[in-house]
Amino acid sequence: MTDLTKMAGLSRRRFLSTSLYASASLAALGAFSRPAQAAANLAGREMVFASWGGSYQAAQEAAYCIPFMESTGALVIQDGPMSGSKLRTMVEAGEPIWDAVDVTDTFLFANEDLFEDLDFNIVDASALDQAYVHPKGIGAIVWSYNIGYNSDVVGDDVPQNWADVFDVEKYPGKRAFRDRIYPMMEIALMADGVAPEDLYPLDIDRAFRKLDTIKDHVIWYSSNSVSQQLFVDGEVGVGIILNGRAFDVNKKGAPVHVQWNQNIRSIDYLVIPKGAPNAEVAQHFMNATADADNQALMANTLAYAPVNPAAFADVEESVLPWLATSEENQAKGFLIRADYWRDNLAELTERWTEWKLS
Amino acid sequence: MYLKDRNIWLLAPAVLLIGLCFLYPVSWLLQRSVSEPVWGLQNYITIFSKTIYLGVLWNTVAIAGATTILCALIGFPVAYSMVHSSPWVRKVLIFAVLIPFWTSILVRTFAWLVILQRGGIINDVLIGIGLIAEPFDLVYNRFGVLLGMVQVLLPFMVFPLFSVMARIDGSYFKAATNLGATPIRAFFRVYLPLCLPGLATGAMLVFIIALGYFITPALLGGRGDIMIAQLIFERIDEFGDWPLASALAIVLLVGTGLLFLLINALLKIKGERI
Repeated sequence: MTDLTKMAGLSRRRFLSTSLYASASLAALGAFSRPAQAAANLAGREMVFASWGGSYQAAQEAAYCIPFMESTGALVIQDGPMSGSKLRTMVEAGEPIWDAVDVTDTFLFANEDLFEDLDFNIVDASALDQAYVHPKGIGAIVWSYNIGYNSDVVGDDVPQNWADVFDVEKYPGKRAFRDRIYPMMEIALMADGVAPEDLYPLDIDRAFRKLDTIKDHVIWYSSNSVSQQLFVDGEVGVGIILNGRAFDVNKKGAPVHVQWNQNIRSIDYLVIPKGAPNAEVAQHFMNATADADNQALMANTLAYAPVNPAAFADVEESVLPWLATSEENQAKGFLIRADYWRDNLAELTERWTEWKLS
Repeated sequence: MYLKDRNIWLLAPAVLLIGLCFLYPVSWLLQRSVSEPVWGLQNYITIFSKTIYLGVLWNTVAIAGATTILCALIGFPVAYSMVHSSPWVRKVLIFAVLIPFWTSILVRTFAWLVILQRGGIINDVLIGIGLIAEPFDLVYNRFGVLLGMVQVLLPFMVFPLFSVMARIDGSYFKAATNLGATPIRAFFRVYLPLCLPGLATGAMLVFIIALGYFITPALLGGRGDIMIAQLIFERIDEFGDWPLASALAIVLLVGTGLLFLLINALLKIKGERI
């Protein structure tokens, strides 16, 4: 396909931007008509937005990029998928091609020197829950690691906490765990009886000892799509899953649900790579992502929670139970300490590999 | 000598391509592995002193070795039947080996999950006919990894073997049996040594490709089935640790090169060559 467009005199960027304009105009005529926001006039400017692809990025495009394009006249080009090494390499080379990027909290905290400071004269983050605002990024969505279960497999025996998930008598068979050191350490400690407020700094040895008790009853997944498949297929009855992923398969009819007790919240931040060619446009873009209407649309599409409390007014009833920042769910969980992982991820990942080999 | 042959210059474009696309990046990797964070061999010392890297290196060699042996055991009969069958059957066998070869490796690996998982086809059938009560753990362990890798790498064993076997003169075997050898003796003393170049080539291909495998052990493997490629990826993608990743890659490359030289030397002793 690339060859054809090149032969026709189109570059990939042109092709993407033209089709984006086409879809944006169509969308503007349809259900996305919004009252014009009092936003900057950036007609003729453009920026590149990079995220994780798939349904997530499609939802971000519809919820943030298109309204931004309508209200400011700027052009937003989609790119991706986000890759840590790619982003690091392009910033270190001094020629980033992305202007706004969706990154995880651990990535932001571990690589702060790769990003521009947010200009809070342009970016209005006053309406947001300040727990989700960072000097170099604002929270795009809040999501959580939850206890997931397949109701066909567990029946009425719904897991209540992580200790249940670790109970091989209650749930014989396998459980699905993430093949990453975080948040498996926090989960193992909670299963061993540690309260969330006493978790950090993490007692790693204790966590590994707890994991040793069930290590033969686990299927380790390294991709979130595999986690969805494991639950949908009934390969596992219980395990850990991202709330948005569970919402996704549940909406499509699978008997997969989440337990909100002891959930661990995490944040995806929107950041601007250092030296981005259209950094100023990206700063204005941050406002579009913080806008309450846009955040509500995002939540209704994928059950990824708003960081702007005002967005809850527009969130659909059926989606509320799935949101990590709804009052009820927020109280049952805690925010993962990205600063802890920034300091310890490298060393602890080695220990994780060591433990896996043992 | 080779260089006197004018046709050797036909190799020039290929050599140029290999030089640019292989030698240059590899020397860049080598340079990074010994120059960062400071000049010296500290990255290599890390690799050979930390148990996780030694453990993963051992895993890699063990899995690749097991895959090679299994491919040889399975591939030999397949190649043999391909040679000694009618042209029509031979065509069918060739396609049977080629068509999976042309299928995307990711698709094939996921297909194994569907077949092998606890709720998958094999377990369903076995439980359905009453042979077993609890499903077998056929995947997310070493068995699953080997199964997936053998299926993918079998053509690399079958085709070199086939091309060597096809050129073996059948009269050698007949002569041996005529002179009094039992068929089994004739096979092991006459036929098998003649197949050795094909076996060696096939084994070399399978082993070297298996060493660098990533997707199959990542998706089908269990907790401890980590291969070196996964570690290299993690170092680069998560930590941007190019020096250590480069060192790991160089270790893999040098190990493979040494193995190749070793096998070549062993074959030279026997009077053969790959």
